[in-house]
Amino acid sequence: MSSFRLSTVLLLAVLLLARATTGHADEAKEANEANERLFTLKVLPLLKDKCAGCHGGAAEDIKGEFSVLSRAELLRGGESGEAAVVPGHADEGTLLEAIRWESWEMPPKENDRLSDQQIAVISRWIDGGAAWPDPKAQQRYREEAEKELVNEDGMIASTSGGTSAEWTSRRYQPEDLWAFQAVQPPSDLDPQAAPSQHIDTLLQRRLDKAGIEAAPRADAAALIRRATYDLHGLPPTPEEVAAFEQAWQQTPDRAWQDLIDRLLESPRYGERWARHWMDVTRYADTGGMANDFERSNLWRYRDYLIRAFNNDKPYNEFVVEQLAGDELADASVRERHQGDEAAVRRARLEGDYTPEETEWLIATGFLRLGPWDNAMIDADEARQIYLDDVVNITGQTFLATTMRCCKCHDHKFDPIPTRDYYRMYAAFATTHMAERPAPFLEVESREGFDQGRAHVRRLLDFAQAEKNRLVEKREAAAREWFEKHDLPYKNEQQRKSLPDEQKPPRHVGLTIPEQGQLKVREQDEWIWQRRLERYEPMVQSVYNAKAARIAWNGARKLRIQKPPKKAQPLVNHILTGGALTALGDVVQPGVLSALSLPASPGAEDPYLVTPDVDGRRLELAKWIAHRDNPLTTRAIVNRIWQYHFGKGLAANANNFGAKGAKPTHPELLDYLADDFVRHGWKMKRLHRYIMLSDAYQRASVPADQERLQLEDPNNELLSYFPPRRLTAEELRDGILAITGELTPSRGGLPIMPEINMEVALQPRMIQFSLAPAYQPSRSPQQRNRRTIYAYHVRGQADPFTQLFNQPNPNESCERRESAAVTPQAFTLMNSDMITDRSIAFALRLQREAEPLEQQIQRAFQLVFSRDASPTQLRDMKTYVRDMVSYHRQHVPEPVEYPAVITRSLVEEFSGDTFEYTEILPVFEDYVADTKPAEVSAETRALADMCLLLLNTNEFLYVP
Amino acid sequence: MMDATRRGFLYGLGATLGSVALTDLLAAEASSGAGPSGEATSQGPLASKPPMFPARAKNVIMLFMEGGPGHMDTFDPKPELTRLHKQESKLTAGQETGFKFFVGSPFGFRKVGQSGIEMCDQWVHLADPYVADELCNYRGCQAESLNHPEALFHMNTGSRLGGDPALGAWTTYGLGSENQNLPGYVVMTELALPQGGAGNWSNGFLPPHYQGTRLRPEGSPLLDLASPSFKTRQHQRRALDELARLNRSHLESLGAEDQRLMARMESYELAYRMQTEVPDLIDLSKESQQTQEMYGLDQSETATFGRQCLMARRMVESGVRFVQIFSGGWDSHDYLERGHTSRIKSVDKPMAALIRDLKQRGMLEDTLVIWTGEFGRTPDNNKRGGVYSLGRGHNNQAMTMLMAGGGVKPGAIVGGTDELGSSAVECVHPIRDLHVTLLHLLGLDDNKLTYFHAGRYKQLSQFGGQVIQELIA
Repeated sequence: MSSFRLSTVLLLAVLLLARATTGHADEAKEANEANERLFTLKVLPLLKDKCAGCHGGAAEDIKGEFSVLSRAELLRGGESGEAAVVPGHADEGTLLEAIRWESWEMPPKENDRLSDQQIAVISRWIDGGAAWPDPKAQQRYREEAEKELVNEDGMIASTSGGTSAEWTSRRYQPEDLWAFQAVQPPSDLDPQAAPSQHIDTLLQRRLDKAGIEAAPRADAAALIRRATYDLHGLPPTPEEVAAFEQAWQQTPDRAWQDLIDRLLESPRYGERWARHWMDVTRYADTGGMANDFERSNLWRYRDYLIRAFNNDKPYNEFVVEQLAGDELADASVRERHQGDEAAVRRARLEGDYTPEETEWLIATGFLRLGPWDNAMIDADEARQIYLDDVVNITGQTFLATTMRCCKCHDHKFDPIPTRDYYRMYAAFATTHMAERPAPFLEVESREGFDQGRAHVRRLLDFAQAEKNRLVEKREAAAREWFEKHDLPYKNEQQRKSLPDEQKPPRHVGLTIPEQGQLKVREQDEWIWQRRLERYEPMVQSVYNAKAARIAWNGARKLRIQKPPKKAQPLVNHILTGGALTALGDVVQPGVLSALSLPASPGAEDPYLVTPDVDGRRLELAKWIAHRDNPLTTRAIVNRIWQYHFGKGLAANANNFGAKGAKPTHPELLDYLADDFVRHGWKMKRLHRYIMLSDAYQRASVPADQERLQLEDPNNELLSYFPPRRLTAEELRDGILAITGELTPSRGGLPIMPEINMEVALQPRMIQFSLAPAYQPSRSPQQRNRRTIYAYHVRGQADPFTQLFNQPNPNESCERRESAAVTPQAFTLMNSDMITDRSIAFALRLQREAEPLEQQIQRAFQLVFSRDASPTQLRDMKTYVRDMVSYHRQHVPEPVEYPAVITRSLVEEFSGDTFEYTEILPVFEDYVADTKPAEVSAETRALADMCLLLLNTNEFLYVP
Repeated sequence: MMDATRRGFLYGLGATLGSVALTDLLAAEASSGAGPSGEATSQGPLASKPPMFPARAKNVIMLFMEGGPGHMDTFDPKPELTRLHKQESKLTAGQETGFKFFVGSPFGFRKVGQSGIEMCDQWVHLADPYVADELCNYRGCQAESLNHPEALFHMNTGSRLGGDPALGAWTTYGLGSENQNLPGYVVMTELALPQGGAGNWSNGFLPPHYQGTRLRPEGSPLLDLASPSFKTRQHQRRALDELARLNRSHLESLGAEDQRLMARMESYELAYRMQTEVPDLIDLSKESQQTQEMYGLDQSETATFGRQCLMARRMVESGVRFVQIFSGGWDSHDYLERGHTSRIKSVDKPMAALIRDLKQRGMLEDTLVIWTGEFGRTPDNNKRGGVYSLGRGHNNQAMTMLMAGGGVKPGAIVGGTDELGSSAVECVHPIRDLHVTLLHLLGLDDNKLTYFHAGRYKQLSQFGGQVIQELIA
C-alpha cells in the first residue's frame, strides 16, 4: 500500500515532471506558431505594403541598402550597419524607431504612416522572436485564417481577388464596409406613421441621447424662402409670400404641404435640381484642354436632365439611360425592324430614331462630359485617358466610390481590387465617342437657330475675306517670284514638294504681322465653319465598336466610323501601375465584386458581364441600377438629403469608402434608400417627405447656442436648420427675378449672359491661335435667362459665377464651397453687372410703387420677403434723399459697346507682338440694359439702396 | 464701366480674370482651413505659418516662359548641331514626323562671369558677372507632355490633367502669407492668357484662398476693384456704413452670433482698404527713375516684362509669398532666330535687373527666382509648308532652367544633355523632383504638405519625389 503510494507519488512526480518538460516545449511551439501567424497575417502585409516599395525591389533600386524581403536582411540592417531587428528585443533594432518617426520617419509619407496598433504588432512580433516561416507555412496560416471570415481583427471581404494573397485575405473593420453591405432599414418603425415621421423618429433618437433640444418651427416667411430657393433656386415673390402667410394662419400644415406640391409641379424645379446633377457629372459646353472645342448641342443633355427631374423620371431608368441609352436605342431599332442589323447600322448613320430613342441617345451625353482632347497625345494614351475618366466618373456619380486609386493598384482602404477597376474599364472598352445624328424633339426649343446661324456666317465670311486677302497678296508675290526666276507659277499646295531653291520663301509677300494674321484667320475660318454644326440635328453620344481610329486632331470631329478592317482582337489587361505597357492579368468586362451582387446570376463568375461588343455597358448599367445595389441607392438618397440640408447623412457624397465620412444616421440613410426603391425610385416623393419632416422646418437659429457649441458644434444632429449662402446660380437668377428682368426659357441653345467685358474680350490662347472673343446674347430677353442655360466654357468661366463657387467642370463636385473671399465684395459692389441690376431694380420700384416710402417697402418685400422696420424705413428714406443730392452732382458717362476690337498677340514667327481686328457683330444692334447715364438722379439714388439690399447677409443667406 | 473711347479696346495687355481669392477672414467658413500639420488657423487661412524645418527661401518669383524656350538657343550650347545643320535627322524625339533635319543654333555662345556659366550672345544684361554669378543653370529636368497645356499644367501643378493645385497654391497653403491685406499668390500674364488659362494657377482641391490672384499691370489691377467712375470714395463709404447698419440689425434679429455673417461683414471693410492698398503697391511712380530704367520700363521691348518684374520685387517686399509672371511667344517652330532674339531681348534686361535689385537690397538670399518653360525644344525640325523651316519642335526629354537666390548653388551648371540636346543625360529628374526641391528650399516637406481630398492625402508631387541635392548650395 505504502509502496504503491510511494510509487504512485513517484509516478505522479515523474509524470508531472514530464508534463512540465513537454508542456514547456508545447508552449514554446505554440508561441512560435503564434509568432509565425502574427508575421504571416499582419507583419508581412505591413512590410510589403508600407516598406517594400523602396526597400524591396531589385538590389540597385533599394534605398539605403536596406531590404525588408527576408529575415536575414532585417537582422543585418541597412547602410548604417546597425541591425534593424534584434529578435526578442523590440527596443534594440532600428526598425521600430524609424516607423515611430523617432529617427528616419518611415514610411516618409503622412499617407502611409503606420498606426499605433500597427507599430504595436511589429513590436510584438520582434519581442516574440521575429519568426519568418517559409512560403508554404505562410500559405497554410493564411488558409487557416481565411476560414474565419470575421474575427477580432475585422472581416474579410470577398472579391474577385487582389494582385497579392495578402490583399485578398486582408481584414476590414466592419464599420469601414458599411456602404458595401446590404441596405438594412430599421425594423422598429411604426407602420402607421408617415415617412416624414420616420425621419423625425430616427433623428430624434440621437438628439435624445445627446440631450439636445431642437429649435422650434421656423416662421412662415422663412419657410417659404427656404422651400422656394431649395426647390426652384429663386426667391418667392411678395405675392406668393402673402398668400402663403395667409394660408399658414389658417392651417399651417396644409399650407406647407400645398406649397411643396406647388413648387414640385413647377418647371422651375427641374431647372434647379438638374444643376445639382451637372455639378456631379461636370457639365460644360466645351471639351477643355488644348483647343477647348465646343461640344455642339450638348445643351440637349442639359435639357434632358431638366425634363427628367420635372417628369420625375424614376432614378433607375435615369441611370440606365445615361450609361447605356445608345444600347437601348439600338435594341429598339432592332425590334422595330424585326432584328435587322442593317437597319440598326443605317439608323446609326442616318439618325432615323423615334423620339424615345432620341431621348435615350441624348442621355448618353453623360459619357461625353469629361475634359478630353487628343492633340499631341498618343492614340493609346488618349484612349486610356477617356476610359479612365469614364470609369472614375461612373464610380463617383452613381456608386459614391472613388475608383482612381485602383487604376494603379488594389485599393488601399476599400475592397476594390485593381482587377475590378479593369473589369469596369473593359465594360467601357467598346464605347467610342461620337457626335451622332438624331432628330430634334418636339419638346426641344430651336429658338434662335436662324439668328445664330446668320451670326456665325457673318463671322465666317469675315474670316474668309480676311484670309483670302492675305492669300492673294502672298500668291501675287509668289507669281512675281516665279516670273523673275523664269519658272512656271505653282500654287501653295503644288509647290510644297519643290526643293527650296525652286520656289519662293514660305510667307513670301507678307509682312511679319500679316503672317501672324493669316494664321489667326485660318484658325477662325475653321472655328466658325465648325460652329455651324450646332444647328444640325446632332447629339453628343457614344457608339459601340471593337475599335476606332481617331485622327491627330480628332476632338474636332468625332463621328461613327466604319470598323477598321484589321482590328486586333479586343483584349483587356490589368495595367500595372496604370501603365499601358505593363500588362498584367487578362480581364473580362465586369462589375465590382465586393458587393456580392451578381451581374450575371448563375454564371461561373457572376461578376462578369457579356464579352460581346454590344451589351457590356447595358449590363453594367442594370447592375448599378439594381434595387439591391446598396451603393447606388444610398448614394442618390444621400445626395438628395445633402441638397436639402447642406450636408449629406454621409458627408462625402462621392466617397462612401473607408476614407469618406461615416454616416451620422445610418439607420435613416438605409430607411430612405429602402423606401426610395420600394416606391418606384421617385425623387419628388423623397423631396416631399424630407421637407414635411419637422427637422426641415426648424428655425435656423439653435435653441441653446452655448450648449450646442460644446455638444454638437457641426450640427450633425440637425437640432436646427443650417442656413446656407446662395449658390452662384441662385444669386444671379434671384437678382434677375427681384429686378423683374428674368426671362423664362424653354432651353435650347446656350445663352450668353453679359459677363464682365474685360474677361469677355480677354484674349486666351488655344492650340494654334487666340480663341474668339465672347459676345453676349443680343437682347435682354435672350440673355437674362436662368444661369443653367448659360454657355459653360471650360477655358473661360464667367467670373461672377466662378467667384461664387460654381465648380470647376474638370472635377466632379460632391459639395460646393461657399467660402467668402474679398473679391466677392468687389463684384457685388462695383461690377457693371450689379450696377445694371440695381438700375433695373430701381426702375421696377418706380413703375410699381409710389411714393418713396412704398418703393422702399416694395424693395424689402422683394429682397427679404418682409416689410422694412420703422427704423429701416427712416434710414433708407434719408439715404435715398441724400443720394439724390449726390447724384445731381455726379453724372455718369455713357457706356458704349465695341463692334470691332483690336487684339494683340505675341507671334512665335517673330517673337513680336502683332495686332489684328476682330468683329463683334452682336454689338452692331445690341440692346443694352439700361445704364446709369440714361436715368435720373432719383433713379440712381434709389438704385444705390437696391444695391445695398442685394449685398446684405439677409439676402445672401437662405434662412 | 467700359470706357470705349479712351482705351480704344486694345485688349491684350493682360486684363484680369475674376477668379481671385484674397485674404479672407472667414476662418469659420473655411471648413478645411486647417494648416498642413492640422492645427486650427484661427487667424485665417492665409496667416503666416512657420516652415517645417529651417528654410532657405521665404518667397518665390517664378518667371514662366510659355511655349518652351530652346535650351540649345539659350543656355545649353550644342556645337555639334551647328556642324550637322540642315543634315537629315533620324531622331525620334518630339512629335514631328516625316523628313527631319538638324537645326544649328543661330546664336553664338560664351562663358560669362567668374563661374563661367554658358549663355548665348543674345543675353547681354544677364551676362553681367554681378548677375551671372548668382545663376544656377539646371539642365537635367524632363517633362512628360509634348503639348502646351498639359505640359504647362504639369510644370505648374504637378499634374498633366489640370485642375490640381498650383505650386504657388501649395506654397501659400504651407506657409501662408506675410501680408493679410494682399493676396499671397499673385500671377501676372503678358498679353493673352497662357494655354490652359487660370488652371495654371488654380487652387485645385485646396480651399479657394490659395488660388493665384491675377493682377493686371495696367488699369484696374483686380477685376471690379474700383467703383464705377460716378461713385466717389465718400459715396462708397456711406454705402458701406448703411450696409453695415442693415447687417447689424439682421444679426441682432437672429439673437445669435454667427461667425460667418460677421466675417462677411468684415470682408467689405477689407475690400474698402484694399481699394487703396493694391493700387499703391503697383504704383511704380514711387520707384526712382534709375530703377525704372534699370528694369527697362523706358523701352518698348522690355516695358511690359520690366514692369512685371519690378512689381514682383515690390510685392515680395510687401510680403507676398509667391509671384509668377508668364511671358509667351517662345514656341519657335519656325523663324527661330527672329522669335528667340526678340523674346530674349524682352526678358533679358528686366530679369537681370530683378536679380541685381534683389541682391542689392539683400533680398536675394530669401527669394528664389526661377526661370523656366514647360519643356525644351528638339535639335531638329520637319519641313513646314514644304520648306526647310529653321525652328524646333517640342521636346519633353530635355530643357533648361535658371534659378537664383533662395539657397540654390550660385554660378553652377547642374545636369547635362547629350551632345545634340535631344535628351537629358546627367542629373536627370522628372518635374516632381523639381517640385519637391522647390518646396524643400521653402522649408516644406512634400511628403508632409498634404491635403485630404477624394479619399486620400494628396501632395504636389502626387506620389512623392526626391530632393535634387545638386541644386542646393
